[in-house]
Amino acid sequence: MTVKELQSKLKLNALNEVGDTEVDGAFVSDMLSDVMAGAKAGNVWVTVQTHKNIVAAANLVDVPAIIVVRGKKVPEDTVQMADRVGVALFNTDLDTFQVAVKLFEAGVKPTA
Amino acid sequence: MVRDKCRHLWNKTNLRDGFIVTENCYHCNKTRVYFSYEDAPPKDEYKEGEHYFNYAGSAQSMKFDLECEKCKTIVTFEERMGLMQCAGCDESCHLNILSKICEGQNIWVYAALAYKAGEEIDLSVDKLDVLTSHFTSRLRTPGKKILVVPGSLRKSPHTCRGEMLRDVGMLSLTPET
Repeated sequence: MTVKELQSKLKLNALNEVGDTEVDGAFVSDMLSDVMAGAKAGNVWVTVQTHKNIVAAANLVDVPAIIVVRGKKVPEDTVQMADRVGVALFNTDLDTFQVAVKLFEAGVKPTA
Repeated sequence: MVRDKCRHLWNKTNLRDGFIVTENCYHCNKTRVYFSYEDAPPKDEYKEGEHYFNYAGSAQSMKFDLECEKCKTIVTFEERMGLMQCAGCDESCHLNILSKICEGQNIWVYAALAYKAGEEIDLSVDKLDVLTSHFTSRLRTPGKKILVVPGSLRKSPHTCRGEMLRDVGMLSLTPET
């Protein structure tokens, strides 16, 4: 499934340009250190964090998309950073659990 | 150390959680940074030589070493505190210049910040190479690379606005001392 297909299936609000990068698995955490240690390239990352360093962490481990949950407003510098590195950034009013369920129903599995 | 016949494939090992603690001397404003493995960041004042260090802040983070899955060589990173990306705050900063040059080639520069006895140091070239190799080998995007460089490429650690990748503001999840 591509990032664009994922956006459509989960009805996510895109905050920047959405590419056709393939999504392979999901990683749920609100800690950058967890993501750097555990996320795999291709994972979509679900978090409540909005600081621009989430993009730096995602870029480091090649996460193609970040979903910010619970309707959190994402600062403009975070969106600009995501544009710069080519990470798709979404937000949604759903909470983490709801997004995780929808990801699973869409066929996205947890990272091994 | 690691330039041998094995085409290393580095994986993280010995992952350990803790806190990056920053302290300031209230006489001379000297800063020291260290990693604490305690359950909560130490906040005690103490005197060391001519300095009176006060707790100035902390963030959750983790340390790791890298092990080659082929030859089992382990490279330790006790002095490595974290990685940061350039914030583009100073056009004349070497980290900024290098980051911009590399960005056009889909190479993403991260500075490794390392400390020994509270003082900032650079990681050895060998260790920077190992980190570069580790993070680049995990990528899937064609042509994309990660380049880990020494923190001393920053013009000044005092004026740099880049932020280390660490978990600030997560302390409500940990017991206060």
